Amino acid sequence: MHIPDGFIPIAQCLVYYVILIVALYFSVKWARSNLDEKRIPLLAVLAAGIFAIMSMNMPIPFGTSGHMVGGALVAIVFLAPEAAVLVFTVVLLIQALIFGDGGITALGANVLNMAIIGGSVGLFTFKGLNGAIGKYPAAGIAAWLATVVAAFACAIEMAIAGTFPMNIGIPSMILYHVFIGIIEAVLTVIVLVALDKFRPDLLAWNKGDA
Amino acid sequence: MEKRDKYLIAIAVVICVVICVLSPYIASGDPDGLEKSAEDSGLAEDFSVEEIKGIPEAVFPDYAFASSPDSQPLQIVALAIGVIITLFIGFGVAYVVKRRN
Repeated sequence: MHIPDGFIPIAQCLVYYVILIVALYFSVKWARSNLDEKRIPLLAVLAAGIFAIMSMNMPIPFGTSGHMVGGALVAIVFLAPEAAVLVFTVVLLIQALIFGDGGITALGANVLNMAIIGGSVGLFTFKGLNGAIGKYPAAGIAAWLATVVAAFACAIEMAIAGTFPMNIGIPSMILYHVFIGIIEAVLTVIVLVALDKFRPDLLAWNKGDA
Repeated sequence: MEKRDKYLIAIAVVICVVICVLSPYIASGDPDGLEKSAEDSGLAEDFSVEEIKGIPEAVFPDYAFASSPDSQPLQIVALAIGVIITLFIGFGVAYVVKRRN
């Protein structure tokens, strides 16, 4: 769901950049009191892994494709959507500047959808369901819902931008991301299971924060 | 850095390399959800809601070398360069913002 340059008028891009700057302020503040030295490699490898996995588009029905995003994953690993904002600002900036994937002008909107909305919906859904259905089913549903809600937000932004109308954009975006969300859910759970097995010390939920 | 953190990085790099090597060959070239939604709305491929000037050209447009956009081996190289840059900048940012005692 990388929004390219040209899909959002500059004046609106600036609004999303303001949101990005505010989000970065809170994310740096979070990091200064929560990101301990031993989680630095984790944050870096999550960024690199997300960069790589975003190149792996998988086919879904309707002649469409999608890839894992990872906003919910990062937010659940650190139990903080702020971590997703840091990771996605890095990944999306590199993708926009060097690879032409996602607009430079649309960076604020893309971080808003994938990290702020994706990360927050993912984390709060996970926290809400964790006690009732267990951490892995909760993480899977959280990742799926994060994808669908982020797509919904993207459709609203496209309508405000005048790029495509709500009556087509919302049903289309939701329909495709209902399927893309399944990819997101499966890969999010796989990474969490692997981390919990091999490096449980890195998962914030094992520190009793969940 | 602890030994197990080095393992973490090594395993992550191996996974990333596998993805970089496979992606140019097996990733779907179909439009993604947003591109398909734009198509559903009848938007042209080069649609722009307003003209935006001064956007620098990407060094590796669409994760490929601009000189030979269809070369899959070069796409692997472009992706691998991206992974390395992301890893280093990820480290740098995390180091700069880490917890202060």
